[in-house]
Amino acid sequence: MAEPRGMDAVTEGIAKRKTLLKYLLKIGDQIKTIQADLTPGQRKGSVDIDGVRLDVSFCPVGNNRYHIMIDGRPYNVWINTHDHGKQIFVNGYTLTVEDVTHAKSGRPRRKPLEETPSNVTPPMPSVVVRVMVREGERVEKGQGLVVVTAMKMETTLKAPYSGIVQKVNTQVNAKVMPGDILVEIQKEDSGHD
Amino acid sequence: MFKKILVANRGEIAVRIMRTCKEMGIETVAVYSESDELALHVLESDQAVAIGPAEPSESYLNIPKIIEAAKETKAEAIHPGYGFLAENPAFAKTCEQAGIVFIGPPAKVIEDLGNKTVARQMMQEAGVPVIPGMLEATTDMERIRREADQIGYPILIKAASGGGGKGMRVVQDPAQMEDVCMSAISEAEKAFGDGSIYLEKFLDRPRHVEFQILADSHGNVVHLFERECSIQRRHQKIIEETPSPVLTPWFRNEMGEAAVTAAKVSGYVNAGTVEFMLEPSGRFYFLEVNTRLQVEHPITELTTGLDLVRHQLEIASGNPLSFGQDAVMHRGHAIECRIYAEDPAADFFPCPGKITGYQEPTGPGIGIDSGVYNGYEVPMEYDPILSKLIVVAETRKLARQKMIRALENYQITGITTTIPFLLEVIKSLPYTKADTSIDFVERYFSKWQPNKDYLDVAAVAYLIAELESSKWPQDTQQKGLPTPWQSLGAWTL
Repeated sequence: MAEPRGMDAVTEGIAKRKTLLKYLLKIGDQIKTIQADLTPGQRKGSVDIDGVRLDVSFCPVGNNRYHIMIDGRPYNVWINTHDHGKQIFVNGYTLTVEDVTHAKSGRPRRKPLEETPSNVTPPMPSVVVRVMVREGERVEKGQGLVVVTAMKMETTLKAPYSGIVQKVNTQVNAKVMPGDILVEIQKEDSGHD
Repeated sequence: MFKKILVANRGEIAVRIMRTCKEMGIETVAVYSESDELALHVLESDQAVAIGPAEPSESYLNIPKIIEAAKETKAEAIHPGYGFLAENPAFAKTCEQAGIVFIGPPAKVIEDLGNKTVARQMMQEAGVPVIPGMLEATTDMERIRREADQIGYPILIKAASGGGGKGMRVVQDPAQMEDVCMSAISEAEKAFGDGSIYLEKFLDRPRHVEFQILADSHGNVVHLFERECSIQRRHQKIIEETPSPVLTPWFRNEMGEAAVTAAKVSGYVNAGTVEFMLEPSGRFYFLEVNTRLQVEHPITELTTGLDLVRHQLEIASGNPLSFGQDAVMHRGHAIECRIYAEDPAADFFPCPGKITGYQEPTGPGIGIDSGVYNGYEVPMEYDPILSKLIVVAETRKLARQKMIRALENYQITGITTTIPFLLEVIKSLPYTKADTSIDFVERYFSKWQPNKDYLDVAAVAYLIAELESSKWPQDTQQKGLPTPWQSLGAWTL
């Protein structure tokens, strides 16, 4: 017990020195808890995903490309880094992965479009073709409000609920972006009326 | 044969046409809009002429500008590709008048066949079966409503000058008729400059089966067998194959003969496609003739061994077809997937943007017609097609397997594409069983979301990239290996 450790033990200590890190990753619309146990330099170890342990080894292949073995299965993966995380390409699928470890309550920084269906906003950069309502007009849920066009395709933006048009923030030929609220509607029968 | 031709198009089809020209020793002239200065078709051409702003009506639809470019560069002929001016009789006529060969049928033929009601009448008289519906197009809502009641719902609305599904709608409920018609008229007006529409009986679960034809200016017409293009979204094809998995030799012969008849009665010259709807009962109806090269022409090329663009050029330069119907052979099974910059999980909404990673699949029996490259910015002004992936193998089963492998190896990052969707369609049981009809996507893939097979791989890949990019925490502390004194921590001798 009192025997001092020699140099062998010291080098072994270095080799075994591992990196244990916890991540919260948002992949598509899902959040996963990841615990990595990988040895730098050796390029292998294990990764825990939502409590399931996977054996991992990998090697970099050229730019942005890795050959990864996960539990004995090989994957060729391409990785592109962009503003909101990384894009991972594997077997025909491109997945966007974002680190949300330090984001408040694990929520993504930007609200995905699906979460805001109650707004009249174009799904992509487009041009307004027609505005079919006026301020003060009463609209039914599902009624067409604005028609936009992009890449030769027309799309009608519909009223998310019945109500009175408070404001029309656009006009024909205006270039509009996702997130721009084109028509504001005062919801009808919202509970307290 | 021509020495120099102008290609009045962009994207993958312009590139594809130029490739054959290069092989034939024909010089090519590209035309391009302001947003296409760095487009692949410009880079692949021998000469390129700027023709105006990004807006198609100012550039790729601008007839005087294109004719001027052809004259200026001394191009003898113009290949229109598909879309844009390909089926515009005024353009064909202007070419003729300017002494430039239009690589396609005569203006009169385009006009007759492009007007679907005229085409219907023509076919009906020649004994080619047509779908019940209106014979004349209109924008008169009163008349449309009366006709609709006569034909009976569900009803299909089509633009008289339409193509590629633009301005096309299905109406189930008479109450929606007016709204839907107005929107169809507006879309048709914008796309073709002609808003008139007509109605047709909506068929129940038909397949889209079309025949490729080649007709020379000496009266010879052959068909190059069929393509089934039943997998569609927004009435636009996304997966095509040949042969059709359901066509028996007897039906193939019947329909092939009808296609040749259609070409003959219309006085057709050059490459064209006669489209039919094939009902489960085996009844088939004439749909329309596309008076141009089709997007899906490569699957015919791979199974017949004929280069359609080469034959278009031969025919346009006045040469007779070098073979008869008996010499046309069909070998193997080919499938094409159209790769669009669209989000299949969000109603196929277009997703323009910059391609940040691009690698094409390779291997025997795999072909790609692409209009993009790594670093290319996909503009928002044009059709969102990026490329076409085409495979050929001995049987349908083998072609399917090859397509799955090819799609899995087709890397396009930076923008959302239809690849995962195509992959899951090709892998699906209904597609495997050839249970295909034009409502396939609505029926089997309406609320599609990408499967979650690779979430774990993506998570692992993310960590690896972080680790390798030296963002791993201990790497930031000190360069090189830590000394034992740093890493051992507290211990005593």
